[in-house]
Amino acid sequence: MLKATLRSFLAHKGRLLLSALAVVLSVAFVAGSLIFSDTLSRTFDRLFASTAPDVTVSPKETLKEGVPSGMTATLPAALAERVARVDGVADARADAEVQNITVVDSDNESVGPTTGAPTIGTDWSPDQRSPVELTSGHAPRGPAEALLDSESADRKHVRIGDTLTVIAGPGSFKVRVVGIATFTTTNPGAALLFLDTPTAQQKLLGNPRAATSISVDAAEGVSDAQLKQRVAAAVGANRYEFRTADEQAKSDVDQLGGFLDVIKYVMLGFAGIAVLVGVFLIVNTFSMLIAQRTRELGLLRALGADRRQVRRSVLTEALLLGLVGSTLGLATGIGLAAGLITLMNTFGMNIKSSEMVIGWGTPVAAYVVGVGVTFVAAYLPARRAAGVSPMAALADAEIAGIGRPLRTRAIVGAVVGALGAAALVGCVTASRTASAASLLGLGVVLTLLATVIAGPLLVRPVIRVLGGAFPALFGSVGRMSQRNALRNPRRTGATAAALMVGLALVGGMSVASASMTKSFDQQIDRTLGADYVIQNSNFLPFPEELTDAVRDTPGAGLVVRSRFTPVAVRLPDGDRVETTAAAYDPRLDEVAHITYAQGDTPAALAAGRIAMDRDFARDHGARVGSTVPVEFQGGRTTRLTVGALTDQDSAEGFGTEGGLYFGLATLEKSAPAGQDSALYVNAASGTSDDELRTALERTLDPYPQVQVRDLADYKKLVHDQIAVLLYLVYALLGLAIVIAVLGVVNTLALSVVERTREIGLLRAIGLARRQLRRMIRLESVVIAVFGAVLGLALGLVWGVCIQQVLALQGLTAFAVPWTTIVAVVVGSAVVGVVAALLPALRASRMNVLAAIAHE
Amino acid sequence: MSTPAAQYVPGQASADGIAARARGLTKAYGSGETTVLALDSVDVDIARGRFTAVMGPSGSGKSTLMHCLAGLDTVSAGQVWLGDTEITGLKERELTRLRRDRIGFMFQSFNLIPTLNAAENITLPMDIAGKKADEKWLDQVIDTLGLRDRLGHRPSQLSGGQQQRVACARALASRPELIFADEPTGNLDSRAGLEVLGFLREAVDQLGQTVVMVTHDPGAAAHSDLVLFLADGRIVDEMERPTAEAVLERMKRFDVSRAPFDGAPGEEAAPGGQAVPGEEAAPAEGTPRDGGIASDGTPGKD
Repeated sequence: MLKATLRSFLAHKGRLLLSALAVVLSVAFVAGSLIFSDTLSRTFDRLFASTAPDVTVSPKETLKEGVPSGMTATLPAALAERVARVDGVADARADAEVQNITVVDSDNESVGPTTGAPTIGTDWSPDQRSPVELTSGHAPRGPAEALLDSESADRKHVRIGDTLTVIAGPGSFKVRVVGIATFTTTNPGAALLFLDTPTAQQKLLGNPRAATSISVDAAEGVSDAQLKQRVAAAVGANRYEFRTADEQAKSDVDQLGGFLDVIKYVMLGFAGIAVLVGVFLIVNTFSMLIAQRTRELGLLRALGADRRQVRRSVLTEALLLGLVGSTLGLATGIGLAAGLITLMNTFGMNIKSSEMVIGWGTPVAAYVVGVGVTFVAAYLPARRAAGVSPMAALADAEIAGIGRPLRTRAIVGAVVGALGAAALVGCVTASRTASAASLLGLGVVLTLLATVIAGPLLVRPVIRVLGGAFPALFGSVGRMSQRNALRNPRRTGATAAALMVGLALVGGMSVASASMTKSFDQQIDRTLGADYVIQNSNFLPFPEELTDAVRDTPGAGLVVRSRFTPVAVRLPDGDRVETTAAAYDPRLDEVAHITYAQGDTPAALAAGRIAMDRDFARDHGARVGSTVPVEFQGGRTTRLTVGALTDQDSAEGFGTEGGLYFGLATLEKSAPAGQDSALYVNAASGTSDDELRTALERTLDPYPQVQVRDLADYKKLVHDQIAVLLYLVYALLGLAIVIAVLGVVNTLALSVVERTREIGLLRAIGLARRQLRRMIRLESVVIAVFGAVLGLALGLVWGVCIQQVLALQGLTAFAVPWTTIVAVVVGSAVVGVVAALLPALRASRMNVLAAIAHE
Repeated sequence: MSTPAAQYVPGQASADGIAARARGLTKAYGSGETTVLALDSVDVDIARGRFTAVMGPSGSGKSTLMHCLAGLDTVSAGQVWLGDTEITGLKERELTRLRRDRIGFMFQSFNLIPTLNAAENITLPMDIAGKKADEKWLDQVIDTLGLRDRLGHRPSQLSGGQQQRVACARALASRPELIFADEPTGNLDSRAGLEVLGFLREAVDQLGQTVVMVTHDPGAAAHSDLVLFLADGRIVDEMERPTAEAVLERMKRFDVSRAPFDGAPGEEAAPGGQAVPGEEAAPAEGTPRDGGIASDGTPGKD
């Protein structure tokens, strides 16, 4: 029996090829994402582990920063001397390092990375742990000398002797490049500028006696943990953060972890799509192989093979396919990871492909996914194969799937669909984001499942409509292609399902992003009243000298500053909410339109006052007049009185729960050293907007990190941020299409073989090759468009629900990107045409005589 | 190009007319030592307005002859004309158009497109051509074949006999110059078979069509006006106004004559589908009954 299975596997290798491709793709994405993220985390683990000192003392961070505030937490540099005296300490150094500086060359162009990675300014203290070494020039000495990392230098053609301007929190200063430092480890993508320690303290921190951390080295025979304990005991355990090398490395990795996780999850998302869509392809292939082999299987049964043997033979075939596919997929995955690493390198990260990590988990996952998916996908067809009666060997081969009723599918599909619909209705009516989101997830999964199950039932009604114009447009060729697509609803349904899954996701996400864009647009239109906004495109804060320069610009009238700060508020109902609050200059009304439920802007921004969102206040029992303790970074708490309640549709975005804001003076009193995040500028009377813009752009020329934006530019900035989400959607779409094309090719190729005699007859009675090709192409198009329509319909429903969840976040507008939808439908027709190329060619090349003589 | 089919008016077919003609028609498979001649320099004229049957043992080349006359197969040597058009040397595209516009086909089985109903199947060649059917003619054909109440049925809803009637209607629908029927009764029970043969007869007698039928059933051949006997790729005999008994008698002689070569008598004597290489002895022994027109099988006149 095994021999028969092997023979059959080899005999059908052409057919299985497409299924194998699906397995390869799925496994490649799984393996590729695992290898890539393993490599990345190993690289960074090693980097941070090698660069972390034995113990690090850093200021206590009491609040997590949701939005960059521009504050740099410091501790006294003198602490280093106290720590150095602790028993067991070999050495203690004060470090001065800031992550948010801008370095520009003489052309006022930034030398930093363009990828959004930070430019780090730090003191030059070379030791064995330093990730860089001086490769040319000399160490920086004095306030006007600096080292630059070699990669930034190469990228921007900076040479020793060049002068750079460093824009740091306390102000800008010029330095001469006196040396180039080269990474000895992997560069995580940042640009590095080194100054001598006093300069770093003075110019980066604005305080010659401050430091950002203390690096402590252990004496011989003292463990990191012991050292940490002793240092903590000596300087006061509660006042600072103490971390051993391991803890510090872990904390560094965690900081980067968000970014690594995103990459990993995106990759696994792709793998998921590939697996999901691949399953349909495999199920379909096996179903068709079995349909074609009904006679052969009947013969096996007639010759005495029992059901179990037949089933096992099909499953063995699936196992072989899974093994071959997984092996190829693993190899492809390694290639994919290498490609991603190369891609990261072009983004400025320096990871060597030779350091690729293939953990034992990767091949295990690859084979589990590959073999598992194939096995699961082949199980139903295998059972059907086992059900073939010995009589089938004698009877005319019937095309399996036509005769069997779809009742079970109808019932299961209806039940699952009803559950899914209920979940979605629940999502739409839910009032809390968390429950709405989980209902949404459940509803999405269930409705997708229901559509896949009930897909074949929808084939007839939908394709009747879609292909309805075919007979009129293409005559009998059109009629036959429409009816061919209707011929085996199961097969058409399963083939279209591959495309449907991908396009449903695309539909849902494009509705979500269109709605978000529209919501933001409406919000910007409604709230933004300033002539110009000056801001960094990554919303990073900028130093005060920039604000001063803007104020001094001729033609600039009112300038309203805005800052963000992490806060924790203790509300009347006892809840402590950690969030980000905004702070504004008093004349906010002239640059923004805020709707108040109670109170007004002066009441909100007055000293000792705070404003919050009406719904947030209601949920937490706060009223105008309530006093709330507000804790700022560093632990200082100020009691503020609620001065106004806003009735905005939304807080300014995400991570700003409660929509808290107060006067900038209030913030400066409690948490000085913050930086401005945005400036709202109005033209002075007598100055036109265009004149002001020209003047502002001239002022900001030395500050390439910020841009001047009017209302339209500001919207575009927001659109660009959302576009990132869209790129992901398009990438998903691409993958879904690739696999769906494989599926359609597969189905059509098998249909062509099955219909050999019919095609022969048509050719005999005068159907031209061109007409035959068109017939197959139209069938392919109608299947693809069916998948697209089903997917987009489902996606639209999801989109409505996603929008409802977003509405709870204040994004109330709803928009359907009709151009995208139409483009996807048209695109799916093109996909159909492409998928039909080979099968159509094959059919038209068929020998007429052989086809009609085919007995 | 205005095809002769367009000029051709049924019922006015002159018996002098030749619907199809072949000269020196040779069809060989393989090459060199292993060459097998399926047709060996066949000369044949198919008279217009008549019902011609082609008979012969399996592997005699009768299906190949039909395929070559109908432009379904290429010839190795010789010439074939349909009406005045020489079809040997036509391009694939022209042959397809010729089959579509000027020839009707009936096959033994799988005659109909399963996704189309009877009416759609009947008009399919015209639909493919993008031509309007002649409604009056179509009505006449449909009524003659008794398909009026079956037009909306799919092939799977029709009996075997009804399916062949639909195929017959399709072959007639465009009023082709020539209808080729390849074992049209092979898959039918005797009653349904008789019915179909009756219709073909009617198509010739009342509708003025020209029919060439390939068969191995003497009973079916008896419905024709003229039987051509094929053996080993040559026309070895012909019989006017045949009867089933006479045809059977004639066929028996093939078995006897072939027995020495094949070792066993019977229909399956020759290997399936392959003609016996052009042996000179076999046709020579099949003595022509009607006055020695062996290879120049010009049919007699009515």
